[in-house]
Amino acid sequence: MSLSNLIQNWQMFRTRRPYEDQYKDAPYKWAMVIDLDTCIGCNACTVACYAENNLAVVGKERFGKGQAMHWIRIERYWGEGEEMKTDFPERGAQYLPMLCQQCEAAPCEPVCPVGATHHSADGLNTQVYNRCVGSRYCSANCPYKVRYFNWWNYPERAWPNPLELQLNPDVTVRSKGVMEKCTFCMQRLRAGMDKAKTDGRILADGEVLTACAQACPTSAITFGNLADKKSKVARMWKKQQVDLAKNVQDKTEEGIRGYRVLEELNTYPSIVYLERLRNFAA
Amino acid sequence: MIKHTMDRRDFLRVLGISGAAATLAGCGNTAIESGVEEVMSYVHPQDFVVPGIGVFYASTCTQCGSGCGIMGKVREGRVLKLEGNPESGISGGKICGLGQAAVQAHYNPDRLHTPMLNMDGGLVPISWDRASQILDERLGAKSSLQGDQIAFLSGGMSGHQRVLLENFLDSYGSKQHVCYDALSDATGRAATKAVLGTEQPLWDLSKSRLILSFGSDFLGNGVSPVYMAREFAKFRKAPRGTLIQIEPRMTLTGGNADRWYPIKPGTEGILALGIAHDLLQHPEFSGSVPQEVLDLVKNYDRETVSDITGIGADSVRLIAAQLWNNSPSLVVAGPAVYGHAYGFSNMAAVQLLNIILGNRGKTLQGQAEHPFPQMTPTPGTYRALAELTQKMQSGQCQALLITGTNPVFTSPSQLAFSEAMKKVPFKVAMVTHLDETAGQCDLVLPLLSAMEDFGTHVADYQPEGVEVLIQQPLMEKLYPDTRGFGDILLDVLRKRKADYAAFPDYYSYLKAAVVKAKPVFQSEESDDRFWETALMKGVIKWQGKTTALEAKLGALEVPNPRELSTDYPFYFIPSIRPDMRDGRHAHLPWLQESPETMTTIVWDSWVEIHPKTAAEMQIKEGDVLVLQSATGSIQAKAYLFPGIQPDTVSMPLGQGHTQMGRYATGVGANPYKIMDAVFDAHTGELALHATRVAIRKTGDNQMVVKDEGPTNVQHGQKLVATLSADQARLSQEI
Amino acid sequence: MSHSVHSHPQLDVQIERKFVPKAKDLGPDVSWAQINKDVLRSLEKPRPAFWIIFFSALALFSFGVYCEVYQYQNGMGVADLNNPQVWGLYIATFIFWIGMGHSGTLLSALLHIIHADWRKPIYRYSEAMTTFTLLTAALFVMVHLGRVWQFYYVVAYPNERWVWPNFTSPLVWDATAIGTYLTSSLLFLYMGMIPDLAICRDNARGARRALYKFLSLGWQGTDRQWGNFKVAYMTMACFLMPLAVSVHSIVSTDFAVSQNPGWHVTSFPPYFVLGALYSGCSGIITLFIVLRYVFRFEAYMTQPILNKLIKMTFAIAMVWTYLDLIEYATTWYGSDEVAKADLVYRATGDYALQFWGMIFCAMVMPFTLLIRYVRHNYTVLLIISLILNLGMWLERFQIITPTFAKSHYPWTWTSHWWPSWVQWGMVAGSFGWFTMLFMLYCKIFPSVSMYEVKEMVHEQNLEGKLAQPVSEHAHEAGLPEGGQA
Repeated sequence: MSLSNLIQNWQMFRTRRPYEDQYKDAPYKWAMVIDLDTCIGCNACTVACYAENNLAVVGKERFGKGQAMHWIRIERYWGEGEEMKTDFPERGAQYLPMLCQQCEAAPCEPVCPVGATHHSADGLNTQVYNRCVGSRYCSANCPYKVRYFNWWNYPERAWPNPLELQLNPDVTVRSKGVMEKCTFCMQRLRAGMDKAKTDGRILADGEVLTACAQACPTSAITFGNLADKKSKVARMWKKQQVDLAKNVQDKTEEGIRGYRVLEELNTYPSIVYLERLRNFAA
Repeated sequence: MIKHTMDRRDFLRVLGISGAAATLAGCGNTAIESGVEEVMSYVHPQDFVVPGIGVFYASTCTQCGSGCGIMGKVREGRVLKLEGNPESGISGGKICGLGQAAVQAHYNPDRLHTPMLNMDGGLVPISWDRASQILDERLGAKSSLQGDQIAFLSGGMSGHQRVLLENFLDSYGSKQHVCYDALSDATGRAATKAVLGTEQPLWDLSKSRLILSFGSDFLGNGVSPVYMAREFAKFRKAPRGTLIQIEPRMTLTGGNADRWYPIKPGTEGILALGIAHDLLQHPEFSGSVPQEVLDLVKNYDRETVSDITGIGADSVRLIAAQLWNNSPSLVVAGPAVYGHAYGFSNMAAVQLLNIILGNRGKTLQGQAEHPFPQMTPTPGTYRALAELTQKMQSGQCQALLITGTNPVFTSPSQLAFSEAMKKVPFKVAMVTHLDETAGQCDLVLPLLSAMEDFGTHVADYQPEGVEVLIQQPLMEKLYPDTRGFGDILLDVLRKRKADYAAFPDYYSYLKAAVVKAKPVFQSEESDDRFWETALMKGVIKWQGKTTALEAKLGALEVPNPRELSTDYPFYFIPSIRPDMRDGRHAHLPWLQESPETMTTIVWDSWVEIHPKTAAEMQIKEGDVLVLQSATGSIQAKAYLFPGIQPDTVSMPLGQGHTQMGRYATGVGANPYKIMDAVFDAHTGELALHATRVAIRKTGDNQMVVKDEGPTNVQHGQKLVATLSADQARLSQEI
Repeated sequence: MSHSVHSHPQLDVQIERKFVPKAKDLGPDVSWAQINKDVLRSLEKPRPAFWIIFFSALALFSFGVYCEVYQYQNGMGVADLNNPQVWGLYIATFIFWIGMGHSGTLLSALLHIIHADWRKPIYRYSEAMTTFTLLTAALFVMVHLGRVWQFYYVVAYPNERWVWPNFTSPLVWDATAIGTYLTSSLLFLYMGMIPDLAICRDNARGARRALYKFLSLGWQGTDRQWGNFKVAYMTMACFLMPLAVSVHSIVSTDFAVSQNPGWHVTSFPPYFVLGALYSGCSGIITLFIVLRYVFRFEAYMTQPILNKLIKMTFAIAMVWTYLDLIEYATTWYGSDEVAKADLVYRATGDYALQFWGMIFCAMVMPFTLLIRYVRHNYTVLLIISLILNLGMWLERFQIITPTFAKSHYPWTWTSHWWPSWVQWGMVAGSFGWFTMLFMLYCKIFPSVSMYEVKEMVHEQNLEGKLAQPVSEHAHEAGLPEGGQA
């Protein structure tokens, strides 16, 4: 019983993740594609995230100290590659929506002393607030720096009455001293999966969306079930020749533009970005 | 297996709550036992209230005039989150950040929730009885107000609210419905109408092969940003169109351009003529172009244009060639074009390109005629406010009702609106938040929030036929002492006109009015069914036909812009933030904390300055600068921004509130107060881009609070990768 | 006292082989009675400086407590930590204190195993230093936690839900290693004290007597007791030595197993261990000088012993320097561009002052130990030993802060990040806490091992008598008093 669980769990520890066809028999593996050519940088996703996930507004002073809590942020870079070579951004700006990449080999997971951050069966990198002791090792180890720590008791000030009536009852309001991060809106996934289970089926493609994907006016964010080969997200991954279990992709086709950020660090992220396009003849 | 779940202890506990509540009340048990809280039964819940399950109700977003259909997730009687309504032709199930934040306007801790009366120079809370009594005395049946003595100042307004408002004014014989929009595009509309025959043509972004945008931020804060963004996404799919953006300060849309050009502010019309000059060289045009047009463009050869605009002669040629080769194209323009003393001409020159390129009927259509013109939105103008101010000054205006606009904050200081207000004996504001204008009124009435009120709206820009957009409450009102806008008007109106006695509240008025319009929509449903369907879908659609556009190539004169003087050596451009707009949303914490995309700055105002200019003037990020215009001066921190023309500085609008609650006040500065008194020669609108300033350092340096770190390039990491568009195979993508 | 000193079965052979005099670590006129008297006096009447030091430490500690309470109440935000800079001074100072502990074990265990007798007057306080630095380090483990009230989640305690700590996390290794090390050090310290506690017991009155009686576990000094004691003590020493090496190796894996630039370094374990020994040795020198003055231990903490200590410190400093430079070289010649950029940033960026400060304090300053004047002037030596440790603290700061300031992800880089007063307060408080505990210890327990110094005197006298002629000969040859220079 428990002992066999322990041994089984240990086997899971011992297996190098990810491996080929890891989710072949699993019902779900959540993944995303973000098209940087259609992302216009409008911040609809970030506000949607605040609304859905009870993110605290920290105020100017704390924002200035780098203690903001935006699970998804729009980064804006100038110049392609190394540096900005021209006086003006002639090819526009470069917007990058950066959220937790839900890595398959997440650097944050093995280092958590209490196992508060761990991998779920559907491929999410989850954070158990109740278990978190706040060592912040996960954040220290996260190459994308998308983990956000409750430096203060944010609920004290973030939702003065009656703003707290807006809080989503499906999402915990985090107290001081715990780490939090993008969950791929797992409260929505959970509710959807439970419903589907009751109906004796798996979720249809697009039946459940993350708040950011649902809001995105340009539909730049595609969210779905990678384990379902027919889902849009799975087809996009395949078309872009990105394999979840590879750190160096075999790109045989030309002109495809899927890549994963900082893939060379062997984190095996669950988010594929599609390269931004520019008409350099213009 | 069902276990025996109740033991003696539990049984007693239940007794304690129900039967023995009175005896236990003094014992200091739980809040329930002591009667502080009640145990609510869900055995007979209200319709659709299932504990733990969110239900979506359709409504319409009122955060801006786009009229996006939204759905509110309602759970346990609270509206939690807004999503786009897939039924809506405008939002198509999508929603912007500004729209999301509507729930924060609703739950805002600084909502006004009692009527306020100005007594001895200060506003004090009063009861509704008292407020009604005052309204009755001043405006009711015995009111002596007649004709234009009473004026109604509002923001852009449409739907039945507009109808009711104008009926209300009618009962006094007044025509003074004054609409003021601080970001008015009236000049642009007028010029477009003069050239194309319609104020706001429909753009077909997805069909365009190339979009040439002169400072139009259609993705950020144009006429319908969510719809445009949806269309833009299609435009970016195969065959991928190209966006060329020409503007003095990079907007959100500019950030998405394939090619972005910084141009000297105000010379856009000249560049357009230069491009036209180049285009008309094509033999296809020989003989078919009216002489006026040829005369108009003949002086604008590439070199001349290049000298004036700062855009290289090669670039002018390239842009013209691209336009020629990528048909159909679309030429659009924004405030950077029409915000000048000759904005009308500038805009007309830009629209001329659409005619030359033959975009009419291809990527440009006329909007369908609306069957209810009385419901269409009233575009706000500066001119109307200026005329009203004059009337107020002269004492002609005896009563002023204000809603949905905040001119004390947004009007330029030389208008002296605030002083003129003092001449009006009776001023009533209907607001959800006590803003600067309401603060100067005699009577302030608390309105229901957009999440609590009924209404109908008609969008400025109706891409798919004609729509009447339904707004319905997503929850019970939070504060008992708030009332709907329509209800307040009806209360007065019932006393003045007997035929309104049939409507006890705005809801009944609205329902009757909508149901009455049923035949127009060719519906065969019963009245109630029609109304319910409308509420359920949030929109009533009617397949209107797009109209043809005209091509009026009239005589046009596009002057060179005013040269910069040594006293005021910089162009000053106010930028419009997609979330703050004219400042009406500064009280929403999500928006304050949402980094402005181009600079990533939060909770502040700032001065954008080109790094080269800054280096010449030895200005570093965070240096506090004084911007001095002929009208006034303002202070803000410097932010070094490469996407700006080097002779230009820019500052975002919307901050600098002195009233409007804890989140809005004490944040940044208000650039409206340094706007020079420059007006468009044709329409009399305030020219927002025509101010010139001098910059002075105060010597102070403060941290610029922003999301961006010490670097804003990628340092060789593959974060945002860019591929040449011709290498991508978009058509094969999923 | 009837205990068996280390027997010298081949005493004669040894005597024949001696041509140069063995350094006399203690003066010739130290009698056993005098030892008892001196050490017991340290428990009663130290110099007034003791109270000055003790109360200053108490004040610092109180301030640290204030800072912690403040942080506990308001959240970690008061420390000005932020998204990339998640650890700040807390972890830097944690490594510092862990490191400090290591040399105590080196002196008490390793030198015991190899029969380096000069350790005897100074090992006791070194071992105490180890114990208290570990306690101080443990403080930082607590202080840095966001939810310190849930700290026990890190411990593998049995619970009905079978929830264990995550054994793949270096922090759990840390907690385990430090816990083991602390327990063992404490036990080792205590065990070594038992014979001395018995002496204290025999000479004390009142409450103290009760305390010593309780702690000395009925020590009578019988042969059997001594025999068992020696075996147990040696066993402990053998256990402790590898443990000490493992602890700082494990601490280094906190960083070495991560991917962050500047941390992902294979040579970190030996580098950390050597760094630990280095700062520990400097710490022992500091305390050597302080105790010598405060408790009037001039007769036991002598120049020859100090000389040996300094030599050892210098040697360790050089090995550490080598490992540090090796780390830079591998990064510099490697192909990890991000790590290289991070190295350049350390040397030229916001924390260049700290970087070069570290180079100066920890790499250049040890060379001053080669100067005879420095070794013999206690004031100067005290300052230099403190500077060495400042250098080592800066080294720890260098590991934490610049790596966070320039990680893989440019968007979240920080510039000029600096810890808030709360962090500094807690660092100061930790020094107060350590000093307070240490001073309290020295006031209550014999900080010089009486029985071992007696052994030493005994042996020295034995050797001294036998080696007299050679010694006189050496004197004629002009060797300075007290052995080699």
